[in-house]
Amino acid sequence: MMQALDKTTLNAPTEATVSGMSMKLLLRDAGIGIALLLLIVFFSLSTEHFLTSNNISNILTQITINLILAIGMTFVILIGGIDLSVGSMLAFCAVVAGTVLTIPELSVFQAVGLATLAAIGTGVVCGFLNGWISAFWGLPSFIVTLGMLNIARGAALQVTDARTIYSFPPSFNAFGSQMVVGVPVVFLIALVLVAVAWFVLSKTVFGRLLYGIGNNEEAVRLAGHSLMFYKVAAFTIAGALVGIAAMIYMARLNIASPIIGIGFELNAIAAVIIGGTSLNGGRGTVVGTLLGACIIGVLANGLILFGLSDFMRQMITGVVIILAVIIDKYRERITAS
Amino acid sequence: MTHTDSGVAHQAIAPRLPILDLHDVRKRFGGTVALNGVTLSVAPGEVHGLIGENGAGKSTLIKVLCGIVKPDSGAISLAGEAYEPHTPREAKARGLQVVHQEFNLLPFLSVAENIFIEHLPRNLFGVVRRNDMNARARAALDAIGLKDIDVRWPVERLGIAHRQLVEVARALMTDSRVLILDEPTATLTSRETDRLFAIINDLRSRGVSVIFVSHHLDEIFRICDRVTVLRNGETVFSRRIGETSHDELVRGMVGQQLQREMASGAISSAGEGTALSLVNFRHAQSPHAEGISLDLHKGEILGIAGLVGSGRTELLRAIFAAEQPLSGTLLRDGKPATFRSPREAIQAGIGFVTEDRKEEGLILAMPIAANVTLASLSSISRVGLLDRKMENTMTQQFGADLKLKYGGPSRHAATLSGGNQQKVVLAKWLARNPQILLLDEPTRGVDVGAKAEIYALIRRLAEKGLALLVVSSELPELMTLCDRIMVMSQHRIVGEVARADFSEEKILTYAYHGERRQTGH
Repeated sequence: MMQALDKTTLNAPTEATVSGMSMKLLLRDAGIGIALLLLIVFFSLSTEHFLTSNNISNILTQITINLILAIGMTFVILIGGIDLSVGSMLAFCAVVAGTVLTIPELSVFQAVGLATLAAIGTGVVCGFLNGWISAFWGLPSFIVTLGMLNIARGAALQVTDARTIYSFPPSFNAFGSQMVVGVPVVFLIALVLVAVAWFVLSKTVFGRLLYGIGNNEEAVRLAGHSLMFYKVAAFTIAGALVGIAAMIYMARLNIASPIIGIGFELNAIAAVIIGGTSLNGGRGTVVGTLLGACIIGVLANGLILFGLSDFMRQMITGVVIILAVIIDKYRERITAS
Repeated sequence: MTHTDSGVAHQAIAPRLPILDLHDVRKRFGGTVALNGVTLSVAPGEVHGLIGENGAGKSTLIKVLCGIVKPDSGAISLAGEAYEPHTPREAKARGLQVVHQEFNLLPFLSVAENIFIEHLPRNLFGVVRRNDMNARARAALDAIGLKDIDVRWPVERLGIAHRQLVEVARALMTDSRVLILDEPTATLTSRETDRLFAIINDLRSRGVSVIFVSHHLDEIFRICDRVTVLRNGETVFSRRIGETSHDELVRGMVGQQLQREMASGAISSAGEGTALSLVNFRHAQSPHAEGISLDLHKGEILGIAGLVGSGRTELLRAIFAAEQPLSGTLLRDGKPATFRSPREAIQAGIGFVTEDRKEEGLILAMPIAANVTLASLSSISRVGLLDRKMENTMTQQFGADLKLKYGGPSRHAATLSGGNQQKVVLAKWLARNPQILLLDEPTRGVDVGAKAEIYALIRRLAEKGLALLVVSSELPELMTLCDRIMVMSQHRIVGEVARADFSEEKILTYAYHGERRQTGH
């Protein structure tokens, strides 16, 4: 199959070569989609409740937070970075927003608007610091965001005095469980974010340079681009998305607690990696991230319906992450040849 | 090996029994034919040249020989026995060593550790005997004339040429029957090349066979006993060196293609003003207070010669603000200018073709089009949105102008041969319409055909009024291209030669004299 493809690419002129390449890329990227389909088929056949509309909207709701965090993580990983702080930042954004949301003097409309601004603003500041500190001092983002992981968590506990904030406006909570033709609105928001991220990454100069930096930052620098700007921007975008995720979290669960989001960064990274983005940066798509998040979500839901314990589910998710990276190695080889 | 009397008598006339013998070796990668019938035999104690344009199959052949790539068909024997290594380790065990073109050194380990990495000397408890190792590494480096390098230095401190020689020293640590040198001189200056040739001569006298891969035909004639030409993955011919000529080898490599006249000479220097002047220009590594002073005129090709480590690359990087200059004045079109980043240098109309195309010039895993437009994204975008049509048009236009051989704008730059990759780097800068182009080793690892095209391009640019500053370790290259050559040594300019007075001797005298003066201090 691959040989036949190669032959056409070798002999045919430009047009066919391009379509040959995109066929190859399609095959490569479709792999994740096929894996997801197989999972869905498997769980549909083997469990009774998997393919009910109730369960599907349940899965989509559960995916939403991880998906939004993973979109931001895709930007960061594409430039060769990593953000370990998103879980803590989620808690920090949530408690700041929760504090605003419960100010009794504000109307519901004002409160939600200001809280959203506060959540995104908090995320932007934390993300900016992550990016700026690692770019300005040339530090590995692993270390800087490990620091931020502790700072944001501490800040969240400090601000709330370790207490949970609750009793948000009822209409705000209603929004969290709103459906449009069986699809949770919060998931639709995440899908819109995926579309925007896809557009930015594949259609803009900004996106092009993020990929460039992930592949060879010296070449990008010597071509006259400011690495600082793009690095800071990637982390800041990730921070802003954490803010949005925090709002959705609060709308769904009706609380803002300083201890939420522990380990969320790892799930987000897992979604990105399963989605085929290279941890070395420079290669991957946000559509892949969407599929990666879906695989994690479907697996989690399906395995529990299947009767496995949550512990087993966790083990299997771990296996899937490792498998994804192994498969990725082979895909890389296919495209290289 | 079985000898009969007649066999021995026969040997005296025919070449001795080959140590390495390849017969009709073939290899394809998917639909790409890499080797299409390579036949080659190397006698013991023979220095065998292997030449061919980029993409002729030399690299694949070497990978087959050192066990990285498995051939599809064909027979290989080493010392009369079938030879099918599955790993580089197995190849080494059979006595075949390769010094690769890409560096395999570990940058943070010391020179000595790198040399002994395969069998570090250890004491009873498994602890590395550091003194012993360092002493032996010292001896190994002394043997190849690298006296000025401390074996305790981490490799990252060494320049590219010294790394290459350390790599050679490492290969020499193990006794081998066949040593393959893959373009060993690409990064060496003539002095280091001389050292290397002395080493090769020594190996030859000890009966070791050397396969010497090079783009430089003069080196092939200097050192080789026989030479084999590859083209499109096939052996074109093998000849004794005395029975062939420069022209025949070039014809063999490029086939029926037109042989371009490489040295057409006669350049008219326009000199309508000074594009760039440096006055006492210093960068962080330059040891002298007076720094570098020079004038680069419009329409001029100014060459910078010098030994490796003389500060040529550092000078270009400082001009381009890839590294911050320390002090001194830079005048652009007569006006003082300070560049705080490459971005500002580019905005002032400067382009920089770097020495290391893979690390600094190209994004290999991205499309050719993305590489061509990397420095001029604003001209193929509106409000930050890429216009792919415009991008492809631009790429195809430069592709045609520079005679780029490529599969299409969306193919990765990694799919191109060295010469075509360099053309992409050139296209990237030409797309910005620069007034000054800094070129660091513009034809390193580039095959003969592409080299001639790049020379012609550089001349055309000069005729259009561009000012070009060319750094090269190949003196014939500088003498072919340049209107004027400045010679650097130890971060200062030690001489200047006008085109009328060009001679290798003159330039080398400056280069070595400057060196001696410095070390004499």
